[in-house]
Amino acid sequence: MTEVAVETEVLEVVVGLVTDVVGEDFLFDIEIGMETSFSTDLELESIEFVALSEKLQGHYGDRVDFVGWIGEMELEDIMGLKVGTLVAYIASCMA
Amino acid sequence: MAAFLFVVPPLTGHVNPTVALGRELERRGHRVAWAGYRAQIGSLLPEGAEILPMGGEIPDEILEAAAAKAQGLRGMAALEFLWRDFLVPLALAMVPGVEAAVEKFGPDCLVVDQQAFAGGIVARRQGLPWATSATTSAELVDPFAALPKVGEWVRDQLRSMQVAAGVDPERAAEGDLRFSEQLVLAYTTEELVGPALGLPAGSGPVAMVGPSLATPDDAAARHGDGAFPWEWLESRQPKILVSLGTVNGPVGARFYSAVVEAVAGTAVRAVLVAPPELVGEVPENVLVRSFVPQLGVLERVDAVVCHGGHNTVCESLAQGLPLVVAPIRDDQPIIAEQVVRSGAGIRVRFGRVNAGELRDAIGAVLGDPAFVAGAGRVQRSFRAAGGAPGAADRLETLLG
Repeated sequence: MTEVAVETEVLEVVVGLVTDVVGEDFLFDIEIGMETSFSTDLELESIEFVALSEKLQGHYGDRVDFVGWIGEMELEDIMGLKVGTLVAYIASCMA
Repeated sequence: MAAFLFVVPPLTGHVNPTVALGRELERRGHRVAWAGYRAQIGSLLPEGAEILPMGGEIPDEILEAAAAKAQGLRGMAALEFLWRDFLVPLALAMVPGVEAAVEKFGPDCLVVDQQAFAGGIVARRQGLPWATSATTSAELVDPFAALPKVGEWVRDQLRSMQVAAGVDPERAAEGDLRFSEQLVLAYTTEELVGPALGLPAGSGPVAMVGPSLATPDDAAARHGDGAFPWEWLESRQPKILVSLGTVNGPVGARFYSAVVEAVAGTAVRAVLVAPPELVGEVPENVLVRSFVPQLGVLERVDAVVCHGGHNTVCESLAQGLPLVVAPIRDDQPIIAEQVVRSGAGIRVRFGRVNAGELRDAIGAVLGDPAFVAGAGRVQRSFRAAGGAPGAADRLETLLG
């Protein structure tokens, strides 16, 4: 698969898992894309990152170390974190 | 006989649990006083309570930050804002006043609200025993488990704040000012929060004593309930209380209108606590009041819809009432999860919930006995936990 195809597939998975975490109705007027911000657009709370981490673990197993990856981030990194950054990270784990 | 000084922030929910505890300590012959901003806490305390006011009014920028905080900020930006623009400046502003209060009152022990860091700072500087009064249980299960560097950032704020207020830097680096090294009082139970996990190194023992609730008489005496139409709650129809605590403004208005639409045309009677001008026209099965004598109303309803404020949730569960929780920010998502996990209720989204979902959720907690059973389990755990007398017992162990 090409890099773009992998990212498209990962984005689809991430959108599904994020939707599970924040709830369908929260998202009815937000289209999640690569530029969507976890903090300002999705307003994810600290504990919702725990929930997201469990869902990613459930889907990707040990291939993706989300906990280790997000655990390295400072507050300002998380405030600026976009869906696309997570997608690129997951795609790099698949490569 | 000893002297206990409560140190409280200018936040309603944080003062309430100290009222019943203060009364219990007085009943045992101790002296009790409250240090805080008189304009914000005076009306929350019983008549005759001794207040040791901060010198001057609360600084405008802190008041503005508190107001902005109430406007529904969520996410990581809300967390940074809470610490940088509210908690830290508030602590530094209160230190001189708390210092003066200690000098005047001569307490043997401070009881410090978990968001009134000035109390811990002064206790550390003067070597006085102090207990944390954890108004909410959210900090008892590390909310930053997945984000360790964010947890570290919070601890950095606490350290630099103490140093700025004159605490020895080595002492400031010890423990975690959110948790007294001697005692942490938590007004909840394991049945609701699960075991306290992930507490920072150096935290004192956590005593989960259950809610420290004012009696309905106390509450009525404070606010007067003469105007409340109690006969409205004598109906045999299912009844609910809907309250968003002190959250108002446009975000609240949207939620209220969804609630009104959800119960319109149903057999449910709803007492809606909201400014009537925010709600507008309502059908006859909805009663809108800007204030209600909440404890009395809770004795007469069957379920509660709220935003997940710790006090309202615990007051409801103390009556064995199932809940629909629509958390907005701060600790509320955590409290909402606790309610869901304990089987006592349902969580809905605050910002985007629609009338249909609310109608389903209200119908479920009223109709499915599993939720009443879950709420009943928490209610029994509260009764067994000791309450204000249990908290007073623990505080007395800190006296020399």
